[in-house]
Amino acid sequence: MSGITGKGTRYLASLALIIIINFTLPRLMPGDPVKNLIGEDVYVSEQVMEELRAELGLDRPLYEQFASFVSDILHLDLGYSYHLHAPVAEILLDRIGWTLLFVGSSVIIGAFAGSLLGALAGWKPEKRTSRVTGLAFIVFSCTPPYFLALLSLYIFSFRLGLFPSKGFYDAPEIGSILHHLFLPICVMSVFSASRNFLVMRGSVIQEKKELYALYARAKGLNDTGVLFRHVLKNSSLPIITLLALDFGFLFSGALFIEIIFSLNGMGTLIYGAIMGKDYPLLQGAFLVISLTALLANMLADLLYALIDPRVRRPA
Amino acid sequence: MKSPTRDKLLEVKNLQVSFLGIKTVTALSGISFSIGERETLALVGETGCGKSVAAHAIMRLLPPESGVKGTVELRGRNLLGLSEKEMTEIRGKEIGIIFQNPSLALNPVYSIGHQLAEPLRLHRKEKKKKALSRAAEALKNMGFANTGEIINYYPSWCSGGMNQRFLIAASTILDPALLIADEPGKGLDRSCLSELEAGLKRLKEEKKTALLLISHDLGFVRNLADRVAVMYAGEIVEIADSSGIFEEPLHPYTKGLLNSLPEKGFIPIPGFSPPLSRLPSGCRFHPRCPLRKRCCIENQPEIIETNGRAVRCFLYP
Amino acid sequence: MSLEAAHSESSCITEACTEEHPEKQLENSDFILKLPLKPPFNYYRKQGSFLGQLNYGGIFLFALFLFMALFPSLLAPYAPYDRFTPYEEPSGQHLLGTNDIGNDILSELVYGAKVSLTVGFAAALVSTLIGTILGLCSGYFRGAVDELLMGFTDIVLIIPKIPLIIVLGAYLQPSIWILVPVLGLLSWESTARVTRSKTLQLRETGYVKSARCMGFSSQHIMFSDILPNLYHVLLPKFMLATASAMISEASLSFLGLSDVSMKSWGTMLSFAFSRGGFIRDMWWWYLPPGICITLCVISIALIGFGIETKKEEYAAGGEDAV
Repeated sequence: MSGITGKGTRYLASLALIIIINFTLPRLMPGDPVKNLIGEDVYVSEQVMEELRAELGLDRPLYEQFASFVSDILHLDLGYSYHLHAPVAEILLDRIGWTLLFVGSSVIIGAFAGSLLGALAGWKPEKRTSRVTGLAFIVFSCTPPYFLALLSLYIFSFRLGLFPSKGFYDAPEIGSILHHLFLPICVMSVFSASRNFLVMRGSVIQEKKELYALYARAKGLNDTGVLFRHVLKNSSLPIITLLALDFGFLFSGALFIEIIFSLNGMGTLIYGAIMGKDYPLLQGAFLVISLTALLANMLADLLYALIDPRVRRPA
Repeated sequence: MKSPTRDKLLEVKNLQVSFLGIKTVTALSGISFSIGERETLALVGETGCGKSVAAHAIMRLLPPESGVKGTVELRGRNLLGLSEKEMTEIRGKEIGIIFQNPSLALNPVYSIGHQLAEPLRLHRKEKKKKALSRAAEALKNMGFANTGEIINYYPSWCSGGMNQRFLIAASTILDPALLIADEPGKGLDRSCLSELEAGLKRLKEEKKTALLLISHDLGFVRNLADRVAVMYAGEIVEIADSSGIFEEPLHPYTKGLLNSLPEKGFIPIPGFSPPLSRLPSGCRFHPRCPLRKRCCIENQPEIIETNGRAVRCFLYP
Repeated sequence: MSLEAAHSESSCITEACTEEHPEKQLENSDFILKLPLKPPFNYYRKQGSFLGQLNYGGIFLFALFLFMALFPSLLAPYAPYDRFTPYEEPSGQHLLGTNDIGNDILSELVYGAKVSLTVGFAAALVSTLIGTILGLCSGYFRGAVDELLMGFTDIVLIIPKIPLIIVLGAYLQPSIWILVPVLGLLSWESTARVTRSKTLQLRETGYVKSARCMGFSSQHIMFSDILPNLYHVLLPKFMLATASAMISEASLSFLGLSDVSMKSWGTMLSFAFSRGGFIRDMWWWYLPPGICITLCVISIALIGFGIETKKEEYAAGGEDAV
């Protein structure tokens, strides 16, 4: 039980840290805090600035500001984007669905493909196919994500004209959506798969030396039996942790890919916000992304405890 | 050794095992022994003499880079000539093996019940439920009371002694004709050891399983073995009936081993057993032998059978 | 970042597993057949030569890039800020053509090596330094200090880095002095973890114990007894950190959040994309920097992996001595 409370405190602390960072950042950064809170390049008169200052509570003591900040978050009020003239929460909600669809499917495809290939490569590392796939995945994981996206866009879209190059769909139906999303999901899955491949391969190479693998063979299991019935389950544990830790990285990678493929998700949103210095939007996005990463971590911990009985104790 | 009253269950003839690498090392230089049905043969020797290698070689569990020569016949079938597929049918069903470290031999992420039921589902294609209930029965035979709970336990929740008994149950659930026990008592304390002895005795008497008991502990072996084979540096140096070995040891090494037992005075044999990559010339034991002669340094003795015993020493030509 | 994470994950999991099961470390050596050589020895030989080739390839490539960074004027035909006719195709005079303001792309590429590598090394240095110190203190002092530091590490580990850097980069004026510390400050967790577990191990060795008995101060023990034994662990971590920092820098440059005045490979790519190099099908503009980044990162990764495998081989070879 103490393990759970320990983890629980850590998550709460992370949550607190994220909220604190979100709170202090605009107030710490150089420049007028009002500007930092509403975004630069927003033209407002002096009077409006004063009103905003009062409204945003910048003249109140710090702890009061923090309290109202936290309560705002709890009411799902993430501020207002003056660039896009809409509440931040609304904008994010609108776009995040697509991004999650895109990231989610890539993560799942990548996890399965990468794990399977990694397991096979780890089981028989001397074979030529194992070495070739290993090398290929190492190369993939070393490429900057957007470069690969760029290349595939160039080759498959511009040159070969196989896939459209912009947007999520031409007409809101499944076929069109799949057609548009195919290339970005492919690229993203390759990245997800390469990380899973490397970890799974290392894991299998280690686990197959263990005594229980030999004992399974001694019981009469053949080669594939030992791999799929015993070694695989034990080797999958690091993958779960990887998926959680990965979430932040994959989400970030997705942003770049969205920008390149001109998909209307979080990526292009954030890109526009950077260009226009729309701070409230950026902060809101950061908060949402961090919270999702936190949730992913908690989920992974839970899953790990479910699968690995060494972490649990008998009732 | 011929035991005319019993049928041969396992017959090992001139088994040689070498490991290929930068230098080729011979782990077993042609050993021969046999085990009859329902007989217990103990394979005794110091660490590094190759006894575990022999066990793995019989089950064909050695890594693929090893070169194995000779014959291992199980009821007349040469195991070394079988395909891997045929071998998988024999492992677990006709020959079982228990390893030294029970807590590591059991897979930590599967429940005890699952692992015990596995051979049943594999070899006899039984359904999960039936297999689990048979597993519970096997646990009961091992002396466990609350089998319903234990089925759902995991190896990390149980002690080493308990895991050892689970392992025995899993290896014998299909009633194999031969059980190989590779240093089963290693790392167990006194009470667990006596439980282990009792468990193995039960196997012998109730299930009539033949036992190949591998150990470095002569004292442990004394109560269980019908015959004892003593190994040194990859060779068998003496085989005899249990009483013969303990009361009238012939080979100087066997004598030395017995003298090193606590009840005989704990007198160790001077020196160390040689590394298999650099074996001494002539008789492999001669550097540590108090009775060595000139011929021992130059020539290798052959193993010679007389009166139902076999010795490899120039003292008994 | 991907490589580092994958690598760190596998090593972290190993460390974590053996930590939780200390008996595994001890007993593992017992059950394995006392084979005179490590079992699949000729398999190691085959693998070894393949990895050895890769390793040498990696070292060679890396040396090439290093040379490019240190002596750019020897390789580049022009200075990177010289202007010629813009948007030129590759020709005899300009092997890779010119960009939108007329700079020779090949020269930009060569000079870009210096910037990219510098950022990579500097960020990796910061992160390795922080990670080592935290890991050392955590592993050596244990107890409350350990809990605190590792809890802190866990907490920081969760925060997604690139979004944070994006937010910071949007507020602050993007410059190299911001980029390096921020990149360094967000990637020390895996180094800290690995240093900590190694320190925990080394702490129990004979010479450390005797040093403590003799009354040496903790700092002295940490830095002269434990630290030198950590180098072979820290070096691959450092190299992987460099690789991941380079990829991060390239990604951030793409978003326009890096120092615009310094021409790194990342900024070249970003300009190529935003100033019309892509649409106009100018492969000679955006392909070379991307390929350079990839190759450089691969070479670093190969060196890092190569060191790791050599370390394992030495550990394996030790059994032979017995």
